[in-house]
Amino acid sequence: MAASASDIRSALSLPDPSAVAGPSQPKKPAPTTRKPEGISRELYSLIGPSQPSVAAQVAKPRLKQKPRFATGISSATKWELKSFQNSTRKDGLQLKHWVKASDSVDAEYPFAKYNIQNPVYTYSQDEYTRFLDTSNRLATLKDGKGELEKPWTKEWTDYLFKLYHEYDGRWHVIWDRAEFPPEAGFDLEDLKHRYYSVCRKLIRNRPWPGDEAGRSALINSLQFDIEREQMRKRYLVSLESRTADQLAEEEALYLEVRRLEQTERRFKREREDLLRTLAGMDSGLPYLVEDNGVPLGIFSEPRNLNKKRKTIVGQEIDSPLTPSGAGSSVSAIKRPQNTKSAAYDAQHCIIRTELPSSTSATKAAHQPAYIRSSKIPYLKNNSMQSKVLQSFAEMGLSPSRLVMPTKENVAQLEGLLEAVTAMLETKKLLDKADHDIQVSKKQLAMRNGQLEDGEGDGEPGVKTEEAMDVDQTHDETDGNEGRGHSVGTLSESAFDVNLLRGYKCNESLDTEYKAAEAWIEVSQ
Amino acid sequence: MVNYGGDEVCALVIDIGFSSLRAGYAGDDTPKAIIPTHYGYTPATPDADVAMGDGTDGGEASNKSKYANIYIGQNGPSIWRPGMEIGNPITDGLISDFNPIPPLIRHALQDVMRVEANEHPILVTEPTWNTPANRERMAEIMFEEFQVPAFYIANTGVLNAFAAGKGSALVIDIGQTVASVTPVVDGFVLRKGLHQATLLYSARSSKHSPGLSHSPLPRFIHGLSKGLLTNATNYRGPIELWPHQLIASKITNPSNPNQPKTLPSLITESLRACDPELRQVLMGNVVLTGGGSLFTGLLDRLNAEMARTFPHAKIHAPGNPIERRYGGWLGGSILASLGTFHQLWISKEEWQEHGKAIVGQRCK
Repeated sequence: MAASASDIRSALSLPDPSAVAGPSQPKKPAPTTRKPEGISRELYSLIGPSQPSVAAQVAKPRLKQKPRFATGISSATKWELKSFQNSTRKDGLQLKHWVKASDSVDAEYPFAKYNIQNPVYTYSQDEYTRFLDTSNRLATLKDGKGELEKPWTKEWTDYLFKLYHEYDGRWHVIWDRAEFPPEAGFDLEDLKHRYYSVCRKLIRNRPWPGDEAGRSALINSLQFDIEREQMRKRYLVSLESRTADQLAEEEALYLEVRRLEQTERRFKREREDLLRTLAGMDSGLPYLVEDNGVPLGIFSEPRNLNKKRKTIVGQEIDSPLTPSGAGSSVSAIKRPQNTKSAAYDAQHCIIRTELPSSTSATKAAHQPAYIRSSKIPYLKNNSMQSKVLQSFAEMGLSPSRLVMPTKENVAQLEGLLEAVTAMLETKKLLDKADHDIQVSKKQLAMRNGQLEDGEGDGEPGVKTEEAMDVDQTHDETDGNEGRGHSVGTLSESAFDVNLLRGYKCNESLDTEYKAAEAWIEVSQ
Repeated sequence: MVNYGGDEVCALVIDIGFSSLRAGYAGDDTPKAIIPTHYGYTPATPDADVAMGDGTDGGEASNKSKYANIYIGQNGPSIWRPGMEIGNPITDGLISDFNPIPPLIRHALQDVMRVEANEHPILVTEPTWNTPANRERMAEIMFEEFQVPAFYIANTGVLNAFAAGKGSALVIDIGQTVASVTPVVDGFVLRKGLHQATLLYSARSSKHSPGLSHSPLPRFIHGLSKGLLTNATNYRGPIELWPHQLIASKITNPSNPNQPKTLPSLITESLRACDPELRQVLMGNVVLTGGGSLFTGLLDRLNAEMARTFPHAKIHAPGNPIERRYGGWLGGSILASLGTFHQLWISKEEWQEHGKAIVGQRCK
């Protein structure tokens, strides 16, 4: 089978292609493939060398290749059992581990660097009595909200700071291990509040070595809003204490809202379509917000639960979770998002372009991010293009290339393009109007000539001032006859008049038009 | 190795449970020595007892003489010997009798693993409700009798969470005698769990561990099954499935407040004691471990039970039975082979300097 090509060639007495090839193509050496192992000679002579797939299948399976170690190049790495000392330990415990013999002996223990300590805030007795003592000021107003701060003694504060240091600020563990007397009535938020407020006061009242920004940043990092935290926890508890009935009701309500929303959207769309087909106009009704993940109305309990819970864990949530009516909660959800994104945008120089309001709601309400330089305005009108280019060239600009496509520059270029286009349009119209005026002047001149020839009483000066009077007198006197007579000429000039009226290019045009009209009347 | 944060210092890990004592090298995935915690002993002759009786210098000395012989290991308690009795040092997960502990550890280290204890730092596990006196005693045994260079005692709840690769978890550990539910947050056990863990037949241990939820239900079930198998009577009910009894116990009168708690009730109580913020974290990281959790169908049943009350609960249960049976040991093995852990060892020097107080300070 393999020789089929040459067989056919010989059968058709065609010359061998290799033989025909010119001398520039050297003859290939005859295929000297060896007979692969595992095939009998007869079979090989039958199938020939051009059946590698068969040969590969028949080839004997080999054992896995032995790994080649670089034995000759370098000897095996030496490892030693060495004792080491951990620099984070205060005692001299010597532990032993296996290390490469090449490693230096007196190197720092590599894991010592992970022993990171939180900054410890300490205070002297003097500082405590001056800034931190709240036990004798029971009526300290907190943020003007009229709630009393709980009294803290110095022992309790010391104990709290000791615990904080001991458990590295793991507040849940601190709360678990802390043993305050029951009459103090502290909860976890109280502990946090006390700790952070003490730290803030210390930083505020001590001389600060660095700059003011760093100080305020540090103070901000130690902010703790106890009321918000307590409210959050209350909401959490109320969320968890919902009964199965309440959960089911919430779910049902949620589904109901979704259904209503869908119906309304469908209704709106249908009305829109209807109006567009019948009246060719938009209804002008505001579109419903397209559903993009965040459902309208309630934070969906069953579907968004995981997400919500995560934010709870991350201590991010700030809006009350209880549903309070569709509209208000939507705004409550949307607003913080917008303000946050505005700040984010300002920081990262992101500029959002508003979608044109005419975009129909059925289109995806999403505009992909793009580079501004890719959206440099270009000339859409092909007929104007050359002229615009020409005028740009006169100004010494290139409309297609902007060296610095900043927002302002692009806007300016766009404005310039528009202005130039508008100017050219106007110029075109003006030219046309001028041309028309020329034509009508010519016509006027011709008719004047006719009139002079025919009647001889047509004064050119008459046409301006007395036009109306003349007209009226004509109407009154001639009546039907005159009107019927004038139809032909009027309709003749109507086109021109309309043209002129539409173009309203300048004042002179108007006067010319009036003159022409007057003359037409006169001529009748 | 440095990439994984590991640094092997040839530490040993010893995990003592009711059924077996596990010992092995830190960094391994299975313990090298698994010997039964039960031991056989022949009581000392009465005259020796009398001889020590007049001394009365504390329980230790007199207890030591209680045994004329002690038989430990695979061939210890399981072989019949004339006059031999079988004891177990563990009650309710705690070591209540320290006398057989040094022989047990010595057997595991020297006879089975063939290592010298004084050459290796040793990490020992303890149940969550361990008493300070108990852990100090353990430290004393290690430093004084075994002359270890360094010692640490770690909580099985935490270690089980580590073995599952979690820092915060709700660990459900079902051993042979005790089932416990331990909330672990950031590698620390939250001790302010429950304030009324009613333990069947053990007023003593409930005094020790006011805040921890564990239940001797497994022991009770074992005992029940043993009774059922050995002397079944006409008025005893049919054998019920064990795991289901762990979960929905019908063994005793449900109105009896002293009956052992079922697993769901343990979980609910443990969670209720935790901060509401933590509940979701814990329920998302439930770790089921312990040899008792290997009952067929237990995991499915527990899943179903928990889905009813906590729709977002996620149970992590290792499919490998070794990992479940020796989860505490495995966590210890992971912990003791970490490079960052080596600063936590209590060294012999520190022990000599600070005494027993260092144990409570270091092993929080």
